[in-house]
Amino acid sequence: MKTPLQSTPLQVEISDIDLSPGPFCMSFQFSLEKLKASIDRFGVLNPPYLVKISAFTVVAGYRRLLAARELGWADIPCRILPGDLQSLDTLLLNLHDNLTVRQFNPIEKGMVLTRLARYITEEEILRDYMPMLDLPSNRHTLRLYLGFEDLDDAVKVSVATGRLSVKAVEAIRVLSREDQREINRLFTTLKWSVNLQWRACLWITEIASREGQSVREVIEDIAELATKGTMNNPQKVRAIVKALRERRFPAIMESERSFKKVISHIALPSKVRVVHPPFFEGTDYTLEIVFRGGEELMETLARLQNTAGLDEITDFWKTKT
Amino acid sequence: MHQFKIRRILLEREAGEDSIAQRIRTRLPDVPITPVAPDDLALDRDIEELDKQSLRMVHFSGEFLKPCPGTPRYICCGYQILHVGINCPMDCSYCFLQSYLNQPSLRIFSNLANKLDAIGAIIDSHPGRIFRIGTGEFTDSLALDYLIGWTDTLLPFFSSKRNCILELKTKTTCIENLLKKRDVGQRIIVAWSLNTPRIIAHEERNTASLESRILAARSCQKAGYVVAFHFDPLIHYPGGREEYEEVVQLMERHLDPETIIWISMGSFRYMPDLKWVIKRRFPKTQIFDGEFIKGLDGKLRYFKPIRVEMYANLFEKLKKWYDDLGVYLCMESDDVWSQSLGWSPEKTGCLSEYLDERVKKLMRG
Repeated sequence: MKTPLQSTPLQVEISDIDLSPGPFCMSFQFSLEKLKASIDRFGVLNPPYLVKISAFTVVAGYRRLLAARELGWADIPCRILPGDLQSLDTLLLNLHDNLTVRQFNPIEKGMVLTRLARYITEEEILRDYMPMLDLPSNRHTLRLYLGFEDLDDAVKVSVATGRLSVKAVEAIRVLSREDQREINRLFTTLKWSVNLQWRACLWITEIASREGQSVREVIEDIAELATKGTMNNPQKVRAIVKALRERRFPAIMESERSFKKVISHIALPSKVRVVHPPFFEGTDYTLEIVFRGGEELMETLARLQNTAGLDEITDFWKTKT
Repeated sequence: MHQFKIRRILLEREAGEDSIAQRIRTRLPDVPITPVAPDDLALDRDIEELDKQSLRMVHFSGEFLKPCPGTPRYICCGYQILHVGINCPMDCSYCFLQSYLNQPSLRIFSNLANKLDAIGAIIDSHPGRIFRIGTGEFTDSLALDYLIGWTDTLLPFFSSKRNCILELKTKTTCIENLLKKRDVGQRIIVAWSLNTPRIIAHEERNTASLESRILAARSCQKAGYVVAFHFDPLIHYPGGREEYEEVVQLMERHLDPETIIWISMGSFRYMPDLKWVIKRRFPKTQIFDGEFIKGLDGKLRYFKPIRVEMYANLFEKLKKWYDDLGVYLCMESDDVWSQSLGWSPEKTGCLSEYLDERVKKLMRG
């Protein structure tokens, strides 16, 4: 059994504590209101842990200290850790203290991993700590989370609050901070699904690269759609996605249009549909007939035989390169 | 000749006595050697960075000769891969090895020479079949030849085989050893992967320039070797059409078309996961700017009319230069073949026959 951690109780003046987010801090974008209400009513049930470096540095209980300060407390009961405690142990104390009472948001997980990476190997992080944070144990994910510290602050807030998905961050993290902010603004003014957000991120950056434009210029082109008063939120998102798709895949969209145009001129019997091969890559079209019985099927087939224009279904991909 | 930097040698225990391992120790006397167990991966560095400056000598227990897996639902060439090693000292942004490899470092199979008899037995047991064999699928065939001496081992062996050829694919000018071995080069094809100077400069890190590749090919032709070229991956970008045409003009200026056995064309394609590895390692790459769709094999590839246009344009220029270059498409569909080249082998077996005929025609003796 491990030796219990030694600490000394002490009533500490809050003004003697360094309350900037220190080397052990793993809190980002949080509300103190509930905590303040709790402390106001019952006091600090679990005292913060401090270590004396030059000033008192917070090891665990950062939020409790901020809440107490906002409540106007002058001092607070704390536990003081020995000054010779290893930094890794101090960090792990805070990690375990947090894990028992709350979920980390993605930015906080990035903070935890970044701090751990100062003391232990990637292999140890992958093996022991990624599962602890409910993250898949692969280097790709680890790199992604380690990179969160370099994100623009507004982007961090969006990720922490769930308005910008981690998947979208993957697509935009190599962009300049200014470009990150532009994309972030687009996603925080409208409500997007994770998948559409990711696709839009990808397409915006790829359109910018294809057309030699900046991300901001691409976003400016589509920004008008986001402000159209005649559309509701989902309609605006759909309109933006459609506009981006048109611009990102002009040849594919042209073939789609040619196909739809030809099909729309064919008077297909009701409950009959022609489906083109995915992306026109294969060569086989599919004919779908919905029917209730053999009699209806025979009728539909007879009508199909006399339908004009079926011979115009051809290789639509040849229409445009 | 360009020599690639090797910082350390990882010597797996069983590889110590193999001839290639002994040779490398004498060629790199100043490079530190660390003995490792085959299952000891602790010294391996970051897999995504591929650790291209560590040479790990591996006593390979797998099969050395294997059919190329090709790709489902597209026409493949029926090639055989001779596994001499994995990973390569160059660093092309589009390289599939980045998501394929599960272990870093340059892995050299040091017991190749010991396995040649078994490989010979397979080849000899099918006298009616032509084995088109290549070493350039998982590594560059020549980049490390100055260290490893693959050509010293392989050329005498293959020169004695009448029903096979060995294709050495490269992006380098490491042909010194080849030029010294004219007498054993009869069954050898020296092949270069070609691209435009722009793509080479931006996407093919540490490789030889286009012109030096073509000049190296000319030297090999002059030394009596049959050569081949692979325009793979073709990248679609503004101005690319003209730049690929200029590549053909350069070939025309320096090469003898009569001893070119084949020229393949393949457009950029990739497994979905590779994109994220590439974007992380090469954030400024523009290879994803094109219009990609999910192909029938699950790989992302250019929308069909874009592929057809690239192939047809390049084919037209090649054909104008010389009408019998053995041009074929790598991993393409029947309709893309027909639209691009005006004919199609229709299936893998027929493309194999076509390439076998090229072997019979150009590799006499």
